[in-house]
Amino acid sequence: MNALLRRLLLVEWSGILAAIILGSALLAWLSPAFLTEFNIYVMLRSFCVALLIGFAQMVTLAVGQMNISVGALGGLVAVLAGGMMEKMGVPLAVAIPVAIAIGAFCGLLNGILTERTGINGFIITLATASAFTGINLGITQSIPFYDMPPALVAFGSDRFFAFPYLLIAPIIVTILLGIFLSRTIPGRQLLAVGGNPHAAELSGISRGRITVLAHTLSGALAATAAILAVAQLGSAQPTIGSDWLLLSFAAPIIGGAALTGGHVSVLGTTLAVILIALIENGMVLAKVDPYWVQFVLGALILAAVWLNRWRAVTTGTD
Amino acid sequence: MRLSSDKIRGFAASSILAGFAASFGAMGIAQASDNKIALIPGGPHPYFAPWEQAAADAQKDFGIAAVDFKVPQEWKLNLQTELVESLAAQGYTAFGIFPGDAVGINSTLTELKDSSIPSAALAGCAQDPTDAAFCLGTDVYNSAYIGTKELIKAMGGKGAIVHLAGLLVDPNTTLRVKAVETAVAETNGEVTLLQTVADTDAQEAADQKINALLAAQKDEIGGMIATGYIPSVVASKSLRTLGDKRIKFIGIDDDQIVLEAIKDGFVSGTMAQNPYGQGYIGAYVLDLIASGSCTVKEDAVWIETPQTKRFIDSGTLVINADNLSTYKDDLKKVTTDIQSNFKDKYLNCQ
Repeated sequence: MNALLRRLLLVEWSGILAAIILGSALLAWLSPAFLTEFNIYVMLRSFCVALLIGFAQMVTLAVGQMNISVGALGGLVAVLAGGMMEKMGVPLAVAIPVAIAIGAFCGLLNGILTERTGINGFIITLATASAFTGINLGITQSIPFYDMPPALVAFGSDRFFAFPYLLIAPIIVTILLGIFLSRTIPGRQLLAVGGNPHAAELSGISRGRITVLAHTLSGALAATAAILAVAQLGSAQPTIGSDWLLLSFAAPIIGGAALTGGHVSVLGTTLAVILIALIENGMVLAKVDPYWVQFVLGALILAAVWLNRWRAVTTGTD
Repeated sequence: MRLSSDKIRGFAASSILAGFAASFGAMGIAQASDNKIALIPGGPHPYFAPWEQAAADAQKDFGIAAVDFKVPQEWKLNLQTELVESLAAQGYTAFGIFPGDAVGINSTLTELKDSSIPSAALAGCAQDPTDAAFCLGTDVYNSAYIGTKELIKAMGGKGAIVHLAGLLVDPNTTLRVKAVETAVAETNGEVTLLQTVADTDAQEAADQKINALLAAQKDEIGGMIATGYIPSVVASKSLRTLGDKRIKFIGIDDDQIVLEAIKDGFVSGTMAQNPYGQGYIGAYVLDLIASGSCTVKEDAVWIETPQTKRFIDSGTLVINADNLSTYKDDLKKVTTDIQSNFKDKYLNCQ
């Protein structure tokens, strides 16, 4: 039993998993509503967009970069997709791939600017974030696009028991991203460049090409998150993405990603997003005083990070 | 001969110009003032969209040289004040401002006053002591109080309610919380306040919080009141998704999603504010003050609020299934009433 526990503790995300199990047990005990079908559906639904936001940042962290424009890019794609469907009558089957392509293009732009200018990606994406938000507001003048195709709205709200159909997209993306990072050459090169750029270059890997690839992938993932947000909200709101930035960093970092690059965890990020969704849901269920919600949220996230850190130190995997 | 012919031509041209001027004057198209007025919200928000039309209408109706709707790029005090200063430098002569930061905006209003540029707080008030000439907005306390009363009526006078509030850092949220609590307290225990869910001013956060609330306490909740634009929209959509017409809901503002939910019976009503009237009347009064023909009457019958002693209620009414198609006319009437009586009630004019 002890050997099993020790082996489990060696896994880097086991601390987060323990926090999820403890938190779930506590919430189930505190509130009978926690395990109801509808509440599980609500949690899974809020998890969908958050996971893709976490992944969008995770792929840039993998190469030791940051994408500050994740939310702004998502907001721009959301209103462009909404505008295409409402104003131009573009069918859903065309609008979605075009919107993802626009997101990838914006990411490509981030990557090329970072690579060609030699300026840190943090600065470049800070600037492009402002530009993307500006285009968003210029197009919408802060008025949402309301008339979304019924099929998209239904996809965002319908469910099979507690399983929201919206969850299909993040499941597919998680599997593809896991395979990409662990089984494909560009995926491994992404981590190699993040881990030791000099060594990677000496091995013949083009650092610039990989940086551009990471930003492009990040843009496509943020765009996918934006489309899911439009489906979830039932309208293309210009405010989509405005509060993504903190979450985009929190999820991969709690999940074990190194800020310096070279190490990310798809499973760790997924568990971190589950933990954050759980804590946010628990705040409402436990009727926490609204003036103390932010404090409790921060304290619980810190506690989860500490638990994982304690695990790493105890098992010597620090 | 040639000279005489030039004279004739000159006389004819002058006569034509004079004739044009006389006819324009008679038609009332001539500009009444040279003022350039800017209406500035705290940042981009659909609530302020009617200000654009209000600015255009005020410019036309009152013959003002320019009334422009200018939006700061983000909800940040520094961006708003930079915009105000830049427009003042470009020659704008009066400002109608929504103070995103009720205290922080005051130094900018003082700067304007020092340069003899009048300003007024529109849609929300600046905190006293302030150099804003007056505050024209929704009486947020009264609106939340009336809304809660309306909700209690829809619930049959008993049950448990939830308050969906906006940003906690907004002082108006505290007023709204108090208003809801007061209306609940007046029922002598027949109605209880189950929970206040706040900081629901971002779409995705509101979606998560409101759905989690409904998941946890759907059966205990008899009614909900939203006092913020976004939670109002999100709750309307959530109740529609749930297919729940048992829970009574009163929202705020007239977003299309809320109005459709009222039409289909998922929402009992919504508290209309009067953004158009705020912009239209604000521009009219600022023009009078900036022209120097009127000053604010110190001893007018102002409404005193916790924020300011010079408050004017721009009007609020409940939109429900009965007046869904006519509420815009009702609001227009409110606007006309306030505008036509404004000079007498609140100004000293030459």
